[in-house]
Amino acid sequence: MDGRAGRPDTIVALATPPGIGAVAIVRLSGPRAGEIAAGLIGQPAAGRRPGAGGAGRSLPGDDGRERDAGRSGALPGRAGRLRTLVDPRSGEVLDRALVAFFEGPASYTGEDVAEISTHGGYEIPASVVEACAALGARRARPGEFTQRAYLNGKLDLAQAEAVAAAVAANSEKSRVVALHQLERGLSERIAALRERLTGLAAMLVHHIDFPEESDPPVSVSRIAAAARATARDAGRLLTTAPAGELLREGAVAVLAGRPNSGKSSLFNALLGSERAIVSDEAGTTRDAVEAVASVEGLPFRLVDTAGLRRAEGRVERMGVEVARRRLAAADVVLHCREAGAGDGGPDEAAFLASVTVPVIAARTKWDLAPPDSPPPEGEIAVSARRGDGLGALKRALAQLVFGGVVANRAEVPVVTTRRQAAHLATAKEELEGFASALDVGVPPEAASAHVQSAETALEEILGIVAPEEVLDRVFSDFCVGK
Amino acid sequence: MRMRYDVVVVGGGHAGVEAASASARLGASTLLVTPDLGRIGQMSCNPAVGGVAKGTVAREVGALGGVMAPATDASRIHFRMLNRSKGPAVWGPRAQCDRALYPLAVRKLLDDLEHLDLFQEMATELHAGGASFRVAGRGGVSFRARAVVVTAGTFLRGRIHVGGTAAHGAGRAGEGPSVGLAVSLEERGLETARFKTGTPPRIDGRTVDFARCERQDGDRPAHRFSCYTREAPPEQRPCWITWTGPALAGVVERNLARSALYGGEIGGRGPRYCPSIEDKIVRFPKTPRHQVFLEPEGLDTSELYVNGLSTSLPPEVQLEFLRTVPGLEEAKMTKAGYAIEYDYFPPRQLRRTLEVKSVPRLYFAGQINGTTGYEEAAGQGLVAGANAALAVQGRPPFVLERDQAYIGVLVDDLVTKGVDEPYRLFTSRAEFRLLLRQDNAPSRLGPLARDLGLLTPAQTDALDIRLDEEARARAWFRDARMPAAAANKLLRSAKSAEVDRPVRASKLLRRPGIGAHALAEAFPGQRPAFSPDVLATVEIDEKYAGYVRREAERAAKLRSMAEFAIPEDAPYETFVTLSSEAREKLALLRPATLAQAGRVPGVSPADLQNLVMELRRLGASRASPA
Repeated sequence: MDGRAGRPDTIVALATPPGIGAVAIVRLSGPRAGEIAAGLIGQPAAGRRPGAGGAGRSLPGDDGRERDAGRSGALPGRAGRLRTLVDPRSGEVLDRALVAFFEGPASYTGEDVAEISTHGGYEIPASVVEACAALGARRARPGEFTQRAYLNGKLDLAQAEAVAAAVAANSEKSRVVALHQLERGLSERIAALRERLTGLAAMLVHHIDFPEESDPPVSVSRIAAAARATARDAGRLLTTAPAGELLREGAVAVLAGRPNSGKSSLFNALLGSERAIVSDEAGTTRDAVEAVASVEGLPFRLVDTAGLRRAEGRVERMGVEVARRRLAAADVVLHCREAGAGDGGPDEAAFLASVTVPVIAARTKWDLAPPDSPPPEGEIAVSARRGDGLGALKRALAQLVFGGVVANRAEVPVVTTRRQAAHLATAKEELEGFASALDVGVPPEAASAHVQSAETALEEILGIVAPEEVLDRVFSDFCVGK
Repeated sequence: MRMRYDVVVVGGGHAGVEAASASARLGASTLLVTPDLGRIGQMSCNPAVGGVAKGTVAREVGALGGVMAPATDASRIHFRMLNRSKGPAVWGPRAQCDRALYPLAVRKLLDDLEHLDLFQEMATELHAGGASFRVAGRGGVSFRARAVVVTAGTFLRGRIHVGGTAAHGAGRAGEGPSVGLAVSLEERGLETARFKTGTPPRIDGRTVDFARCERQDGDRPAHRFSCYTREAPPEQRPCWITWTGPALAGVVERNLARSALYGGEIGGRGPRYCPSIEDKIVRFPKTPRHQVFLEPEGLDTSELYVNGLSTSLPPEVQLEFLRTVPGLEEAKMTKAGYAIEYDYFPPRQLRRTLEVKSVPRLYFAGQINGTTGYEEAAGQGLVAGANAALAVQGRPPFVLERDQAYIGVLVDDLVTKGVDEPYRLFTSRAEFRLLLRQDNAPSRLGPLARDLGLLTPAQTDALDIRLDEEARARAWFRDARMPAAAANKLLRSAKSAEVDRPVRASKLLRRPGIGAHALAEAFPGQRPAFSPDVLATVEIDEKYAGYVRREAERAAKLRSMAEFAIPEDAPYETFVTLSSEAREKLALLRPATLAQAGRVPGVSPADLQNLVMELRRLGASRASPA
């Protein structure tokens, strides 16, 4: 049941990754969160002591001293208290866990929230979720806690997107950027732009609504200049969008090169211990292997044309074809050539000429090169086997693709979704359109349609409705009142 | 006179006058009850009508057949088109009226109405029972009405403050307050709140040294407020401009504690845009001087209204600071400025027809809804009076949307967002200011008024003439070709590229710096004579066609939301996909349409989207038997 018939229902879910970590958090949100959490707290039924049954767990702190604190239904506050959790159906002890209750609206979702920190693993957290469900909680849909937080005004839309990005973060930098966005980094920048638009609108209002005021009228050129400056700042923020998208999606690095040029070894070496997930493109194509790797703390999707069906004898042609197809999506190409190999002939030259993204030339199998021979000009010599040159290669990858972001410190906000970028681009264009219209003599009252559109665009990034802030600005900035 | 009416209007200010007139024009038997028939249409503050946005409202009232526009034309002694230096889309007509002539003009217009009676009485009680109301007065008379419009202005428990000590109950200077009616309305469960507003002192013009002031003459009054009649305006008078300086600031600062506003005597909130001089000095200490307009109160009086110096300081302090102002060194004060606080009914208790939600066929209009300004009052009065008559006649309500009229913006703002300071219109409150202009008021609203029956036969004839003129003007600009020589003369003066062959007038009009009036004037040979309004309409529609279209498209988008009706009994508490704040606000306000819901503070676009889904789901479940 979805609670549609009455008040919002209470949802429950495991808030930490399953199976990993010493502690797992089960989160409840909704009007019955407290009641359900309290329903789990209680005395174990006689003869069902832990250890006596199948679970065989020993519970820390369960030494009798705290037994009173475990009494049925006593719900702790925000600070959290250790409580014995009992399955209300069987009376069996589930765990001894830290229970905290956050009364809405001062909570993550804005509703009543209970957080139960159980021991980790798969078993215990799952049984606690199960017990909550038995008491009437509905299992939350993905992102539902964040959705409720957004709907209740606890997060703006950009922040809500950051929650998703932080959860999905595939590298250190992605996580830092997402968390910064969650901490309103991007929102504040957008809000600051919007604030300037409000200022712009206030100038327009002052220009139009108060023609007889003693303050000197705001000149049209001043309004145009303010619009241009704001457009420039929007543009500056917009330049982070490509990097932002790469941070979220991972930069696609295609390893290209002739068979036996050391691609696969390099692929595995780059993944190394940082290897996160390996998937061979389930369901789409089986002619390439893709893996997500964190390189220098930045997210990459490495694509290797290894694992091709060599038996068919068309390897070379296919290799080039696949690389070509993959190239459309590539952000960088790692061109591999083994030590001692020649320049590869017209095929390879033609291929390289068709590449439009940055190319890193890697001279592989450098351990096979004569000792002390210098690496070829403009190439990075690596040995997947010995690990030589891997660091330099990673740095080159990071620098070439994420140059700007790498230079940025954590507090620089980054536009991370296409939605944000599209709205921001609209805002910038409208502001430029406004300034140009003023330049050619369109009166501000007509051209202000542009400002309205720019404002709407920024508001959509944050997901808010504009309150009437313009007049507030007018009255605080200008002395009006004939 | 009779004892039963279709509609009884309580109050004879600007809201009451329009309400009574609109109701009577629609054919409902109407009675206007007011404590002093001699003060109908009284201009209690500055005898001025119009301004930016407000002037457009006055024009809209005129286009809808109302009283304010022709009465202003008949009594104006100084007229200016504000924002003349800017595009005609934001022109704002403003007139200074003769304080004595204006009410006379109003009275004459009311007396001409067939279905309207006037009665002098202070209404003190209002009873609703069954299908009718009983309005009872101090003198024991009582009337029955099928609908009632209350326009009590600042009379509801009004308290006047002159300086920190003096406070007495009053409606306006020299008149008594209305307490009984306030109590009577509160007993019906209506919520009240309190506002304050201030007025400046008046001075004797014979004691002013005008040589030390800047003279401001009015425009030659080619423009008018009325859309359907042409009144001969009386003799014109200038206004005078002077400035406050540090000496005035010193006097005000020294005496701040004695101000009712700053001494803590008045609790209610006042308007920010019409600040008292105390406010200006305190809030803008760095502004070296403030503009002061000396405005004539009438032809037969030398009294001047000191615009810009409203205050609640004691009279002796007022005189002291007045005499620091250049030109006023010897001035005699004829009336002290004062602040007034009064009750209003937070307008979110009203529907978009201005009907009280909890009391069918009871309507509120004007300052009791928390607004300020004659024009705002008049616009509401017209809406309330028309709807009272329509309700009695069993006809559909009359609601102006935000893209139709500033009056629509005004009413929607009031009933949707409420007020937290006395509400005044600004162009910035309107989303569609290119559509809502003073010049196009007749073509924008005239046909609507005509179809509703709000126009008298004479007004309808005048409307037809105007619509015809507009069509002819559009055709002329579209078809007429201007010889290159004449065109280049114009283009040179506008610093625009010249042409080498005859060029269409409409094409020239699109060039920056070329106005319709100048273009028509420069046309060789037979020159068509179009009125300034019509020329402005054609010019804007041609020159800013792209922007006008953009606004029209946005308006159309809003329209589809405005046509998405929300049932009044929508079970918001069950709409769990909405934020709790949105649920709460919507349940309280119960908006009539999706567009209105979107303007409720605290309702986000996400909420709105979810609201649509919830309503669709609800519609489906209601349509199909469970």
